[in-house]
Amino acid sequence: MDEIRVLSSKEQRKVMFRLIKYAKPHIKPIIFAFLLLCLVTVGEVTGPILIKIFIDDYIAKNNIVAGPIITLAVIYLFIQIANAFLMYLQSLKFQEIALKIIQQLRIDVFSKVQALGLRYFDKTPVGTIVSRVTNDTEAIKEMFVSVLAIFIQSFFLFIGIFAAMFILDVKLAALCLLFLPVLIWIIHMYRKLSSKSFSALRELIGQLNAKLNESLQGMSIIQVFRQEQRMSKEFNDLNSRHYDAGIHNIKINGLLLRPAVDLVHIVAIIIVLSFFGITSMETTIEIGVLYAFVNYISRFFEPVNQVMQQLTFFQQAIVSSARVFKLLDEKELAPQQKNDPQAVIQDGKIEFRNVTFSYDGKQDVLKNITFTANPGETVALVGHTGSGKSSIINILMRFYEFEHGDILIDGKSIKDYDINELRDNMGLVLQDSFLFYGTIKDNIRLHNLNISDEDIKEAAKFVQADKFIEKLPDGYNQQVTERGSTFSSGQRQLLAFARTMATNPKILILDEATANIDTETEEMIQQALEKMREGRTTIVIAHRLSTIQDADLILVLHKGEIVERGNHQQLLAEKGLYYKMYLLQNGLAENIAEVVQHKV
Amino acid sequence: MKVFRDLAWFFKQEKKAYLSGIFMLFLVAILQLLPPRVIGIVADEIGARTLTLGKLGLWIAVLIVAGLLMYVFRYYWRIYIFGASVKLARILRTRLYEHFTKMSSHFYQRKRIGDLMAHATNDIQAIQQTAGSGVLTLVDSLLTGGFVIIAMATTISWKLTLIALLPMPIIALLTNWYGTKLHARFKKAQEAFSFLNDKTQESISGIKVIKTFGQEKEDINDFKKLSDEVVEKNIAVAKVDSLYDPTISACVGISFFLSIGFGAKFVLDGSITLGDLIAFNTYLGLLIWPMLAFGWFFNIVERGSASYDRVSRLLNEKIDIKDHEHAIIESPKGNIEVNIAKFCYPDNEKTVLKNIKFTLGQGKTLGIVGKTGAGKTSLLKLLLREFEGYEGEIRIGGKEIKEYRLNALRKAFGYVPQEHFLFSASIKENIAFAKPDASEEEIHLAAKIAAVHDDILGFAEGYDTVVGERGVSLSGGQKQRISIARAILLNPEILILDDSLSAVDAKTEETILASLKENRQGKTTIITAHRLSAIQHADLIIVLDEGKIAQQGVHKTLMKEDGWYKDMYLHQQLEALVEHGG
Repeated sequence: MDEIRVLSSKEQRKVMFRLIKYAKPHIKPIIFAFLLLCLVTVGEVTGPILIKIFIDDYIAKNNIVAGPIITLAVIYLFIQIANAFLMYLQSLKFQEIALKIIQQLRIDVFSKVQALGLRYFDKTPVGTIVSRVTNDTEAIKEMFVSVLAIFIQSFFLFIGIFAAMFILDVKLAALCLLFLPVLIWIIHMYRKLSSKSFSALRELIGQLNAKLNESLQGMSIIQVFRQEQRMSKEFNDLNSRHYDAGIHNIKINGLLLRPAVDLVHIVAIIIVLSFFGITSMETTIEIGVLYAFVNYISRFFEPVNQVMQQLTFFQQAIVSSARVFKLLDEKELAPQQKNDPQAVIQDGKIEFRNVTFSYDGKQDVLKNITFTANPGETVALVGHTGSGKSSIINILMRFYEFEHGDILIDGKSIKDYDINELRDNMGLVLQDSFLFYGTIKDNIRLHNLNISDEDIKEAAKFVQADKFIEKLPDGYNQQVTERGSTFSSGQRQLLAFARTMATNPKILILDEATANIDTETEEMIQQALEKMREGRTTIVIAHRLSTIQDADLILVLHKGEIVERGNHQQLLAEKGLYYKMYLLQNGLAENIAEVVQHKV
Repeated sequence: MKVFRDLAWFFKQEKKAYLSGIFMLFLVAILQLLPPRVIGIVADEIGARTLTLGKLGLWIAVLIVAGLLMYVFRYYWRIYIFGASVKLARILRTRLYEHFTKMSSHFYQRKRIGDLMAHATNDIQAIQQTAGSGVLTLVDSLLTGGFVIIAMATTISWKLTLIALLPMPIIALLTNWYGTKLHARFKKAQEAFSFLNDKTQESISGIKVIKTFGQEKEDINDFKKLSDEVVEKNIAVAKVDSLYDPTISACVGISFFLSIGFGAKFVLDGSITLGDLIAFNTYLGLLIWPMLAFGWFFNIVERGSASYDRVSRLLNEKIDIKDHEHAIIESPKGNIEVNIAKFCYPDNEKTVLKNIKFTLGQGKTLGIVGKTGAGKTSLLKLLLREFEGYEGEIRIGGKEIKEYRLNALRKAFGYVPQEHFLFSASIKENIAFAKPDASEEEIHLAAKIAAVHDDILGFAEGYDTVVGERGVSLSGGQKQRISIARAILLNPEILILDDSLSAVDAKTEETILASLKENRQGKTTIITAHRLSAIQHADLIIVLDEGKIAQQGVHKTLMKEDGWYKDMYLHQQLEALVEHGG
């Protein structure tokens, strides 16, 4: 997999910029949140100023007047309480915005996935796609919620504190600016060192978990080959390396994180004390200002600590964003349609004209396929695994684009139709009847709200699925659990039939189930199939030849070519491939022996 | 708190680290008291205009020394305490791994790998947190909190201390309560998230159905709904999470208010100085963290305790297949006599094998055939002693297999399992899996016998090509043949091929069987197969049906009997014809 691991700083900026664009639709709440933040910051920095006034104007001067002091106290308390509320609102607002931004990103990724062609799904494991939609976006959420919010809040607080300090004493405030470069240097160093050691740690924990996972999967092999000790040793080596990396990480955090910032804090206090101390030797100074400065400085360092702790998440989120954007930029889209509004399916005549198709552009899996299915006729496709039967359905359903030849429906190229026209009129029943989470009803209706409960019952009745559904404790409202594994494969197949019948398609495409189906259900399935085919053009992939004896046309495929064609009787008479396949399924031992010996 | 008792063994073992770490925390807690005091003294000197350069220099020197010492101590307690907690994680991980290697197949049938992984990752992390941050928050909140309060009460004013501290316990109480609430809501948010994850997984797995019914838009809407849920649940988390800062800020604000208000009174009546008041306020600032830590402590310990219980339960799982006392050290050799009256898998009543009785002479080849689920693999698993608890006995070289040491018994076998499992390593390492010190020649020879040598040379990196999840993807046939080479390399007394030729074509199968015959003179081979051509030359063929022996003999005799074997053989011959297009 072409996983993105490292990005240049230019790429990082680009990713960041694109991410920030996602904030655009939320500009109003964002402005509101910033306003709140401004208020909070003002509230936070006024507290020490009020205390300073109290100390300098009243206590230090021994000037106790009830009126103004009470006013001061009320203002102070009011600001504290109001500020707590504003702070809460502001923090909530920022998180809400971040969550909404991520939701949009998530929906965009998911929509993109839905628009991709099946070729993309062939080359990308399901797990990888899922992790783009969920885990990677989750990592970006972490960044928006914790990193960016703290960044912005700290920045505001920083501005507010310095503004207050400049108001109180310009010279000292300017002096305090001096330790900024030191802090920036520490942050820079920390980022540099920690990003390396942190990614090493993450890489090792990844390896450790992969090793454990693999060992658990292959435990019987390890045990049978008596490699328990060696594998334990290998695991331990990795575990020790992880331990070393962990200790290394603790060391870097210890050197540069909180202890270092706390040391700078003390240096800042020293600067303040020296300044006031030296000034006081010449002129009187106000103790309240000293108090306010010391207080501001302690407030300032807490967010610095927080920002630094979040830095590592930032890197991770950028990498995740890059992966998400790569998927959003993916070009392997589903086949495009010309959407001719006049193209309407009336009769359901299907014609394949010299269709040649390849999945990878190198090896043709269908060669020159030509046949016609007249309205209401059944065409059966038979052949060995890999002969190309499923590929015919894949291109007929527009899952894959084909380059050579054409497929016509009612005389018009399949590429001219609006995709919805095709989907509404062509019903495909897949071999493996995929059931979704939800009730039986949900599974028959899917998301199509035009299908009423009555329609559902009728469809179920039509394919004889009603009998087993009505026996369920909750009937049509029974929950389907674990992808329907509580139902037999025959029952699942009937549900899939009902799902297709509910849409009443003009063209029916069937991929017969190969799974073992109990005889009782098997019979019901056959009856249902017969009814379904009535009056519909049907293309069926048959695994059991007994089910297609009455097909109007049987195509025998071998390695992507039609090698035999005709109806059941004609093909049997030919004594070719079809005949042999028929014997395999129905033949008596003597017939088989005869054919085998004849060939051998 | 129970978890600390449970972890006592570790604290004892790491006594030195923990005591040193706690001692450093103690020193930091004391040194921390200096700066506020110094600020107060200097403020008073400034107020009284008695400060001289010399005095200022002295106090600054004190601050510098205190600052540097704190830096050093803060660095080292991290190394000691956090270092020890990382060590605990390492120890537990190793224990779990070693325990896993001793568990039998029965254990792996009962447990899901995902759950086992969760214990080894999330639970261990929670325990590590308990032994690190848990210890830190407890010790630090008690030490720092205690010292600060003592310093405030003794050096400034105990009355003022009492008054100013009134709002502080509220912080500890509230944050602890938030922590519990947050955890519960966070769990719900996680659930919503994993629901969304499942939905995504389902949509992608069922993409064909969705496309067939033209339901892309509707499915996206469904996804939107679920993601709304995720947002909603996360906002619920944010609603609690956002409470922390305002609560602390309000409580601290009120605390400052009380201390300044009442402090002013004390300053005016002369019981404390203005500098004392400033120092007092700075001390108050130092109390925020211990209060927070105290609230966190209970949350950390609560989670750690649950995790430790889960991990212990796993480590206490009994090892069900182990060596008997005085077990035989030598590897078995000789005839294999199987006489199984009945076998069921543990926790399952279905009889899997019944009345299986046969003897296979040393150096002979046994073929086992039958439908899926007839009991072929189960029989092999008993032979390998992956399961026990059958009625009857299995003897090799005249002795029951239970009497051998497990290690000695398995040394006699080379096993090629049905599901070909390769490790994420090079092909070379995979073939030499059971004999890591094998020479190049040995590895190449094994690969040649398994007819995979040429395939391997065809890869860009030859034998160094990495396979497995993170490497190149091989075809099923290639994987099977590498698994065969892995077993052949050992030149085992008994080679077992469990349906291991299913993914190779008939010609390759023939090549492999021929070279096995040539290279394994005098050694026993057991083959199970669906394709009868794989066992048709065996010295003994057993047809299993529903756990019982239905037919027994050699190819020639079986072809003369009317039965499953003959039917199947002809059937497969025809199948081969169809595969070749008639």
